[in-house]
Amino acid sequence: MNTTIKEQNGELVATLEGRLDTAAAPQTEKDLAPLMAAAGKNVVLDCTKLEYISSSGLRIFLALLKAVKPAGGHVFIEGMSDDIRSVFAMTGFTQLFEFR
Amino acid sequence: MADLLVLHNDVQEIPQLADFIDSFATQHSIPPALSMSLNLALEEAVVNVMNYAYPAGTVGEVHLSAEAADGTATFVLTDSGTPFDPTATPPPDLTLGADDRPIGGLGIFLVGQIMDTVAYQRQDDKNILTMTKNIKQI
Repeated sequence: MNTTIKEQNGELVATLEGRLDTAAAPQTEKDLAPLMAAAGKNVVLDCTKLEYISSSGLRIFLALLKAVKPAGGHVFIEGMSDDIRSVFAMTGFTQLFEFR
Repeated sequence: MADLLVLHNDVQEIPQLADFIDSFATQHSIPPALSMSLNLALEEAVVNVMNYAYPAGTVGEVHLSAEAADGTATFVLTDSGTPFDPTATPPPDLTLGADDRPIGGLGIFLVGQIMDTVAYQRQDDKNILTMTKNIKQI
């Protein structure tokens, strides 16, 4: 699992690449920690190269949303595959996030 | 003949489960989307055992067998830890907004969403969770 963060057009863009399983989740959570302090900026999660997610990954997405939203920011998900989107649908996460 | 995977209660061993499911899927011509779902459900069931069956600091084993017959895959997860029936866990409230959604509690729910049947038995001081899924091509 590889995670990189960059700032682009005033938004914080995190690119997630690989398998976000329970083994990878603690490191990914650390890698995404800077986004938690986005202070009103929008966060974009580029999931084009995300191959897999389990509930430990969903937990990180939700924690991020809970941190970014009260500060007035949005969390956008980009490029998510249908297979991973189905995991979001099963868990009611589709309504929580904005997709683009 | 069932395939058998033996793991310890260490989530760092979870990638071995992915390899195990990949090879099971290849053997039985299971398409990638279904294979991913099976991997997800089994990861959630296995992680639950890894995290809760054995007291912290002790080493325990988690056994998973996988078998396919007549278009049905059967997975049996066995551990010798604390008695726990995951099928008795109440489902999460999926209608809550982000503010009210608790972090967590989705793992066991996903097992039930993906598998066709999930049955728990306590036998010979073991937790035995049997899960089945239709893998027939439509």
